[in-house]
Amino acid sequence: MSIEITRRNFIQFLVGCVAGIHATPLPWKLTDDIAIWTQNWPWVPVPPVGEFTHVNSVCRLCPGGCGIKVRKVDERAVKIEGRTDYPLNPGGICPVGMGGLQLLYDETLRFPGPMKRVGPRGAGEFANISWEEALKLLNDRIARLRKEGRPQALAAVDGNPRRSTMSVMVERLLRAVGSRNYLNIPGAEDLSSMVGELMQGTEAPVAFDLENADYILSFGCGLLEGWGAPGRVLNAWGLWRSEPFKGKVRVVQIESRASNTASKADQWVPIKPGTETALALGLAHVIIKERLHDTRFVNDYAFGFNNWRSGYGKERMGFKEMVLKQYSPMRVAYVTGLNPDQIVSLAKEFARAKAPVAIFGKGKGNLSGSLYEAMAVHSLNALVGNINRPGGALVPEPLPLSSLPEVIPDDAARRGLEQGRLDQAGSWRYPFTRSLVNNLTEAILSASESPVDTLLIFSSNPAYTLPDGGAFRKALGKIPFLVSFSPFRDETALMCDLILPDHTYLEKMDDVAWPPGLQYPLYGVSRPVVDPLYNTKHAGDVIIHLAKGLGQAVGSAFPWKNYEEVLKARAKGLYEAGGGLTRFEEGQTPAWKMVNKASGSRPGYKSFDDMWKQIKGGGLWYKPSPAERNWEGLFKTPTGKFEFFSSRIELAFSRAAEKRPLQAVLKSMGVQQTGDEACMPHYEEPRLNVDRSAFPLQMVPYEMINLASDWIPNPPYLYKSLFDTQLLKDDSFAEINPKTAAKYGLKQGDLVMVKSPKGEVRVRLNLFEGAMPGMVYLPMGFGHTAYDEFLRGKGANPNDIVHGPKDPLSGYPIWWITPVKLVKV
Amino acid sequence: MEKEHGHGKHQYGMVIDLDKCTGCGTCMTACAAENNVSVRPDESDKQRSIAWMQLFKITNGKEFPHTEVSYFPRPCMHCNENGRGHHVSPCVSVCPPTATQLDLDTGIVSQIYTRCIGCRYCQAACPYKARYFNWWDGYFPKGKGLERYLSPEVSPRMRGVVEKCTFCHHRLMRAKTKAYAEGRREIEEGEYITACAEACPAQAITFGDLNNPKHKVSQLIKSPYAFRLLERLNTKPKVYYLSTKDWVRKMADNYLPGEFKPVTKIGG
Ligand code: SF4
Ligand code: SF4
Ligand code: SF4
Repeated sequence: MSIEITRRNFIQFLVGCVAGIHATPLPWKLTDDIAIWTQNWPWVPVPPVGEFTHVNSVCRLCPGGCGIKVRKVDERAVKIEGRTDYPLNPGGICPVGMGGLQLLYDETLRFPGPMKRVGPRGAGEFANISWEEALKLLNDRIARLRKEGRPQALAAVDGNPRRSTMSVMVERLLRAVGSRNYLNIPGAEDLSSMVGELMQGTEAPVAFDLENADYILSFGCGLLEGWGAPGRVLNAWGLWRSEPFKGKVRVVQIESRASNTASKADQWVPIKPGTETALALGLAHVIIKERLHDTRFVNDYAFGFNNWRSGYGKERMGFKEMVLKQYSPMRVAYVTGLNPDQIVSLAKEFARAKAPVAIFGKGKGNLSGSLYEAMAVHSLNALVGNINRPGGALVPEPLPLSSLPEVIPDDAARRGLEQGRLDQAGSWRYPFTRSLVNNLTEAILSASESPVDTLLIFSSNPAYTLPDGGAFRKALGKIPFLVSFSPFRDETALMCDLILPDHTYLEKMDDVAWPPGLQYPLYGVSRPVVDPLYNTKHAGDVIIHLAKGLGQAVGSAFPWKNYEEVLKARAKGLYEAGGGLTRFEEGQTPAWKMVNKASGSRPGYKSFDDMWKQIKGGGLWYKPSPAERNWEGLFKTPTGKFEFFSSRIELAFSRAAEKRPLQAVLKSMGVQQTGDEACMPHYEEPRLNVDRSAFPLQMVPYEMINLASDWIPNPPYLYKSLFDTQLLKDDSFAEINPKTAAKYGLKQGDLVMVKSPKGEVRVRLNLFEGAMPGMVYLPMGFGHTAYDEFLRGKGANPNDIVHGPKDPLSGYPIWWITPVKLVKV
Repeated sequence: MEKEHGHGKHQYGMVIDLDKCTGCGTCMTACAAENNVSVRPDESDKQRSIAWMQLFKITNGKEFPHTEVSYFPRPCMHCNENGRGHHVSPCVSVCPPTATQLDLDTGIVSQIYTRCIGCRYCQAACPYKARYFNWWDGYFPKGKGLERYLSPEVSPRMRGVVEKCTFCHHRLMRAKTKAYAEGRREIEEGEYITACAEACPAQAITFGDLNNPKHKVSQLIKSPYAFRLLERLNTKPKVYYLSTKDWVRKMADNYLPGEFKPVTKIGG
């Protein structure tokens, strides 16, 4: 029996035993035997009754930060529900958030207290130690590095979202110690910041006013797979399908596979994975050629649209000439696999919509993407002048959190800070990227001795989640001392030497500083729903404690008693900015509606202390702000305009070329184009350097909303919602098109090895018409070697075989096309 | 749509809008969490796995790139009739010890675990496969701590009994208790809603009293796009679906060629 009902058998499945309706055999004798079952009840728990209460908080299982209401019976939390008094997700939450209590209470998923490794790395054998001993171990290690004059050998990999207070704390600790090697796991938000910086001149990630848009052109964003702030996006999806929007909002999904988003969208545009840039520029070609662009915007508020003259009087190519010459529908059709008419009509529809918005960020947005691609997509928003307009792409001002006082490094720290970053982020090679974990991996693997002595790992599971063919895991093996702050027994933690377990999100106070992509600033704070169950400590408090133990110089960078004081110190800026609200009532005008008109609501707090009390009591701070602002003075780029041609990129090229030939600069950056195109979004086919006859197919990883694939373990409830064509016993499935299967003589359910130049994984095959021929789709979130019997040993992790070059300019790994072949087992 | 909810005073029912349903599965998780449904280490054995709310995936069967996927969330249908015109659900009519009953006042099909003898006739009689047999006790190994999230409002089940969606009956009790405490005899729309309806992030599920013309559900079922699963078995389910897609509606029943009538005129 298959639970994935196809057209033919859906109904047959349901009525399989329908005879029961018409004739009811009552073989009484049988009931005797069966009753034996019921006389044999060993242990069924009886949940204790008690007083029912509920606690309002914020979910922090993803950066989305939904409002949650937790039902309690005395001290026990028994159910998580969505909050109706939260503007982001009025009432609903995602399945992962819904299953959060299993992550709190499943003892075998968690570390009960600080531990030190006693078995081989990865074996998960640990001995309990006291917090005192644990902190001393780390303290001594860091103090020694400082004494030896190499504080830069302390590094941190952090999965906390960029704007969060935790990420600020970790980076600060490293700075005070004397290391620039703070690495944040890169995701779509970092890409979005780079687009913001290069095209709009502000580092704040581009925000999208989805709820007020009437045409959403999504370049592979998994809107229904967990993109952005999932609670918000799924809610928006429901709105688009309700009055008064029903039939008036069009969602177009560009993606090679019939994902949920693609299937449920109004239109699915299947293109070859990795050719999104070409399509975006092809659409730009048609829009410009048909004169459907906003001439006022491109002429008066944009730079580099038309050809221009440099200071030396040299004529330079503008965006218009580039796309008109190089991105005709014919050429783009060839690259993407579409036909030219589709491209033309898509472009016209987009440009003629009242409030069209083009969005980027692959899948859930947990993983990095391509910089030129994101810029190409965003240039469509600019072409139609839908920047900072209702329903468009917004140029947000940064969240007005107070900055913490400057860190004053001592001599020991200063020496370390003079050393460059190991990942070369921000160097001439990767001028705009803020961290590159893949480069750190390379630096460690290529050195005879690891340049990192001690690695701190926060809120992430890079040994499992990085799309790098297992390289980071190898690098970990070379690092002398690994420290995990994870509350969970994840793959990375099991390799660590010291475990300093954090509380889970339901046991601590922490912040959500502006969920990704949201059109208005929102700041939420989680609070302890239950007292910590085990001997864990808030990682923020541990950092403060650690810093103080490292002497006056480091300690003075952390003048706070505890983490809550840090949160409060930062939140002060929200009060000073004025005009924010701390309450959202059920049934109130949705916050996204207020984006159209300045809100007249009064703040509802009298002083900062009053405001903070409300925020930390499960409240929030948000500030609906009018979207329609003048384009005048909006862009902080060197030209003061929206830049189709990025002067920052050009400047970075010429600075780097002062010391070496430009050709060499571009080559190091992975940019194939050498002309003016290199400063504009343009398409380059990635060089895979692999014999395609040996690896004729392409593996494309995909994400699901009902399977956690980031550092959070998957709540076991969610396995109920997987089909037995996604996971069967211990095998996960690859989706391939029936035509591809026929070509290689493969059948439904066959066991195969998917082999890439990096390795192989074993999966079963699911033949799916919605898979593009020639592609092999592997789900992310399976293949754990850690955690407990619910998660361990189930299926394969596509990250293990990812193989690809780096994205030009950004240096991020390209993970969305891996050359593979299938070998039947 | 014919009137068929005249039996009791209240007839609670559900409308699931498949155009809105994203297939996220939050309803399934919410239901399991609300109702203490046990999770086993292997949930991929769909003959054994228990899901009061089950998501089904259907495709239009067309070749790439015309393939479309849609989802059917399936709770218990709380059928009003057994298909032969009797005011009794198919499962209720076959249960020897009357462990399952159709409540006349609410329309809810209940399940009393302590009465259930595990004969599984009801399971066989249910055309919607909404009933699940407990082959084992719930999976709560000692020392794992899983029992700590169990809700006292719903009793955990033991090996050998059948369980299914109850329309979160305890939530009706909760709402009634509150109303009585406030001196009211009746509960308002929205005071009693099921865990799945409440959790759905896309607001695809609406719950209410089909007998109350003011309730949203009783208006929604008048849509020309409203239908029920296997309508022609005449089991009179109180769970309705909405879909504007012909291929989705077609799949809800065994239509003979040419028999399915697409919606051509849209009105009240
Ligand atoms: S979307 Fe993110 S924040 Fe919201 S419930 Fe899910 S995991 Fe939590
Ligand atoms: S929660 Fe809502 S959107 Fe998600 S599967 Fe259930 S009905 Fe569909
Ligand atoms: S009504 Fe309650 S019991 Fe039934 S499927 Fe929904 S959540 Fe589960």
